[in-house]
Amino acid sequence: MSGSSRRDFLKTSALIGAGITGLSISSAKAAPKNILSENRMGVLVDTTVCIGCRQCEWACKEAHDLPAGNIASYENREVFYNMRRPSENALTVVNQYSAGKGSDLPVDVKVQCMHCDHPACVSACIVGALSKEENGSVIWDTDKCIGCRYCMVACPFQIPAFQYNKALDPKIMKCDFCFERTKEGKLPACVEICPVEALTYGPRTELISIAKDRIKRDPDRYIDHIYGEKEAGGTAWMYLGNQEFAKLDFPEPGDKPAVGVSESIQHGIFAYFVPPVSLYALLGGIMWINKHRKSSDEEEK
Amino acid sequence: MMKNILTLILFFALYVSLIAQQSPKKNYSKLNINCKTCHTCDVPTKTDPCLVTCPRDKMTTVYQSADKTPETIVLDQLVNSYGPVYFPHKAHAQMAEMGGGCESCHHHNTSGPILKCSSCHETSRKRGDIGIPDLKAAYHRLCIDCHREWSHNVSCNTCHVPKKDLKNVKDEKAQKKYYSKNYPIILEPSKIVFKTNYEKGNLVTFYHNEHNNKFGLTCTSCHKNESCATCHDLSKNSNTKEKTITVTKSNSDNHKKCSSCHQIENNCSMCHQDKVAEPFNHGKQTGWALNRFHINLSCAACHGEKLPYKKLDTKCISCHKNWNNETFKHSITGLQLNEIHSQLSCEDCHTNNNYSAKTTCNGCHDNYSFPKQVPGKIVGKLN
Amino acid sequence: MSNDYSSPVLIKHKFLTPGVFVLIVLAVNGLVFLMGRFFFGLGAVTHLNNQYPWGLWIGVDVAAGVALAAGGFTTAALGHVWHKEEYHLIVRPALLTAMLGYTFVAFGVFVDIGRWYFIWHPLIMWNGTSALFEVGICVMIYLTVLYIEFLPIVTERFIGNVNLPGFLSRMNKPVDRLLRVLDRGLSKTMFIFIIAGIVLSTLHQSSLGTLMIVAGYKMHPLWQTPVLPLLFLLSAIAVGFPMVIFESILASRSFGLKPEMHILSKLGSMIAPLLGVYLAFKIGDMFIRKTFVYLSEVNTASVMFTIEVLLGVIIPLRMFLSPKVLKSPGLLFTAASLVVLGVLINRINNFIVAYSPPYSLHSYFPAFGEFSVTIGLIAILILLYRVIVMNFPVISLPGKQKAAQTKYTIKGTK
Ligand code: SF4
Ligand code: SF4
Ligand code: SF4
Repeated sequence: MSGSSRRDFLKTSALIGAGITGLSISSAKAAPKNILSENRMGVLVDTTVCIGCRQCEWACKEAHDLPAGNIASYENREVFYNMRRPSENALTVVNQYSAGKGSDLPVDVKVQCMHCDHPACVSACIVGALSKEENGSVIWDTDKCIGCRYCMVACPFQIPAFQYNKALDPKIMKCDFCFERTKEGKLPACVEICPVEALTYGPRTELISIAKDRIKRDPDRYIDHIYGEKEAGGTAWMYLGNQEFAKLDFPEPGDKPAVGVSESIQHGIFAYFVPPVSLYALLGGIMWINKHRKSSDEEEK
Repeated sequence: MMKNILTLILFFALYVSLIAQQSPKKNYSKLNINCKTCHTCDVPTKTDPCLVTCPRDKMTTVYQSADKTPETIVLDQLVNSYGPVYFPHKAHAQMAEMGGGCESCHHHNTSGPILKCSSCHETSRKRGDIGIPDLKAAYHRLCIDCHREWSHNVSCNTCHVPKKDLKNVKDEKAQKKYYSKNYPIILEPSKIVFKTNYEKGNLVTFYHNEHNNKFGLTCTSCHKNESCATCHDLSKNSNTKEKTITVTKSNSDNHKKCSSCHQIENNCSMCHQDKVAEPFNHGKQTGWALNRFHINLSCAACHGEKLPYKKLDTKCISCHKNWNNETFKHSITGLQLNEIHSQLSCEDCHTNNNYSAKTTCNGCHDNYSFPKQVPGKIVGKLN
Repeated sequence: MSNDYSSPVLIKHKFLTPGVFVLIVLAVNGLVFLMGRFFFGLGAVTHLNNQYPWGLWIGVDVAAGVALAAGGFTTAALGHVWHKEEYHLIVRPALLTAMLGYTFVAFGVFVDIGRWYFIWHPLIMWNGTSALFEVGICVMIYLTVLYIEFLPIVTERFIGNVNLPGFLSRMNKPVDRLLRVLDRGLSKTMFIFIIAGIVLSTLHQSSLGTLMIVAGYKMHPLWQTPVLPLLFLLSAIAVGFPMVIFESILASRSFGLKPEMHILSKLGSMIAPLLGVYLAFKIGDMFIRKTFVYLSEVNTASVMFTIEVLLGVIIPLRMFLSPKVLKSPGLLFTAASLVVLGVLINRINNFIVAYSPPYSLHSYFPAFGEFSVTIGLIAILILLYRVIVMNFPVISLPGKQKAAQTKYTIKGTK
């Protein structure tokens, strides 16, 4: 190998190294907003109190400019025959299940985004279009999203929905914890309308103690489990119930944040770009040695 | 100088407002509740009051009979999209005796007069203490759980009258027309057949009307702590007079109601039979058929109010203590005594006061016998 | 020494054959559905729904596409880093397939994402925790690197041959000069890109595996494992050479050439150990996590897993170990195809079969439109390959004994 090209080699390698280090520094800043504030808000959903009136569904649509229809039509009980899921047309839905302990009344379960403490969707989003805000809400940014739907793959509660039938400007649709309303000091629309306050809005830590208190005071009414206190690493929306949550179609994502494994792999690979850079150097070295050997072979000949 | 006065005024204002905030002291030890209802230890102190979580329904100290309670309570503190709700308080209070009692609504009422809901439940949902529900939730929770139990829906119009149809009225009579009458009117059942799984006689026939009319039971003698839907259920056909119920509850639950009057030990066949039982027949069941005078009496008229009923002897005088030749109108038996005989004392003919045995004439007459010789005039059917 | 190797030339062949005609029809059909997708939205042509956000396009066009384009970096490593010059004549075809493959992947992504007009966003909006971001960024850079790696072939074709039509012909001279400058610059720096290409490939091949880890319990335990990235990388490395063999034999057949058996069998002999390592990790992982219990029940997952491992790994592994297979073009082709198929199924399994959302209101099977687009894109890819090898020096003809390494190595080392 000639002297000049060897110098080239070293010079360029150094340059690339510097470039990548620069990159890694800027990438550290480029993470999406993911705040786990001490004072984050939450909602405690008491499924033993919820009456399945579905007014929250109506209010949610009204608050999010989705076609909501007449509120009286929400008195229709037939929708409970099939399980429904939040979708691009309804960010929250209520499903009905048969009675649990201590009551003959059916159990109604409102479903919406759980606003996880360690949201998988935020961690997964390719462009950081989702963010966890100071007040606990996980919201979506229309100006960033590219529509790859990886958040849907990642969400352990299967929440984000996508407007598949729009050719232009399709959106990821999910409960935003009424981010705009709470910013103005209002309650989330569903919390505000709920006639029985099955939805209690407040600081998450306070909600947990309230929930524990309710369970302690009324052990016949509740099972001793606050769904969402630990699930998937904790969620802002939590549930009380009078039967196993699995029976109410709640998933069992485990207590570890869904993002744990993949984030640690991700960080392992990208820890300050050391692994890729060393791989680069290694390959460069092998290449250099092989080339060198070959040219000295030739010289010997 | 001016400054001093101002400071003084300020202090005074502060002092007054402080006093104003002090609630009048209650002397809890004088209350009619057991200390142990609230405290776990024997000597609660200020630093360690050892309080239990507040019991929902053991604290009410004031009771009124349902009939003395207000007829209608107007709930108008939260009027917005709907107008006020005219709550038929008395009707509910009367019914409440069969349910959880006053405490089912008036809970955590520590002492003294019954408090308004809004004295604890705040009117605003956005509030400091989110541990207890706000007023709207409190109202709805109290009402809706029973109402949806029997109505199987959660429609708002069950209680709310649309605002346009509503005039704010003060008059009690006028308010009544805003009561919603959505509950199914129940007919009192006459006969209920319980299908049980007792192999030596799986049918228990219960004559509801007999228990009511004859045995003099009131609703609350049996119906306590029951859900409204037991009787008012829109989906169940609660309006039939005769029904069949397949028993699902546990053995002891089933027997509880009956056993408070009936002796049930070793007495299964009294109720459990293979076929639907006949209505109560005094003659068959006790061996003493009731005559046309007794048949219409309530049981308590002879057996007294106290349950279980005791066996009575068959002597008329055991009950009709004041009957004698003067007070008893003999013609009622179909035989009008003539003047002479009506002077006699009863035992003269009815030996030993036994009115079912043959009468005797031997006391005065030889070879006379009834009914060959009649001591008067036959006026009706003899029995 | 270099005289044993032939140099790449333009392939002279009739363009339109019955096979090509079929491909064109398929391509047009795909394009029709593509228009549907862009005019009426994803819902109009796909069966994707809120429960199954990813389907055939991500599973095949993207994930399998990336894996099957792995021939590019494995041969680059073999040819350039390890300097095995005898393989240089397969480097160019592999490079071309990788380039086309990644273009196809990028286009697949473009088609699949709902807001395609924002496809450039990852360039400026970064999320370091996202595996998809890493895949995306790496693929973008790698695609650029591939184009740069391919540039010398373009300059080689046109230097001294620039012949622009009409009035543009005045530009002939300057363009020629530009190409020469480019060529010289490239040959000095090409090694940077080659190594970068390999690093980028290992990164995103593995991150492609990380992608599904975040789905957690939603993914069937037969596939869900923290070592997925490693399995993806190993399988990508293992499928690189089989893919080269596969397309090389296919291309030779199609152009009526004799396959380069002496190289291909040597290449084939290296596959068995690579497959072996992959298999060892896959089975090892299965035993460590005790997931073999799921194989005792018969359902789609267990059947697909068995097919994937048996047909795609174990059988071809055995085949590649046999000298007879290595010598026969037919058997070699079969074995290579099995590996390719195995990896294809593996990617489909990972992205579609294994994904079982807790609430599946409707199950997912790709729509006709999805198949059409995928097949149409593959058809276009093959057609492009054909056009390029007929117009650029990519494939080396056997028997043309002429000193040839790829150009930049000649220039870069001397
Ligand atoms: S429930 Fe799903 S969508 Fe909502 S914050 Fe958690 S991961 Fe994101
Ligand atoms: S918080 Fe807002 S967006 Fe979320 S379910 Fe309630 S109303 Fe809908
Ligand atoms: S509004 Fe409240 S009570 Fe009604 S369905 Fe929603 S959560 Fe349940």
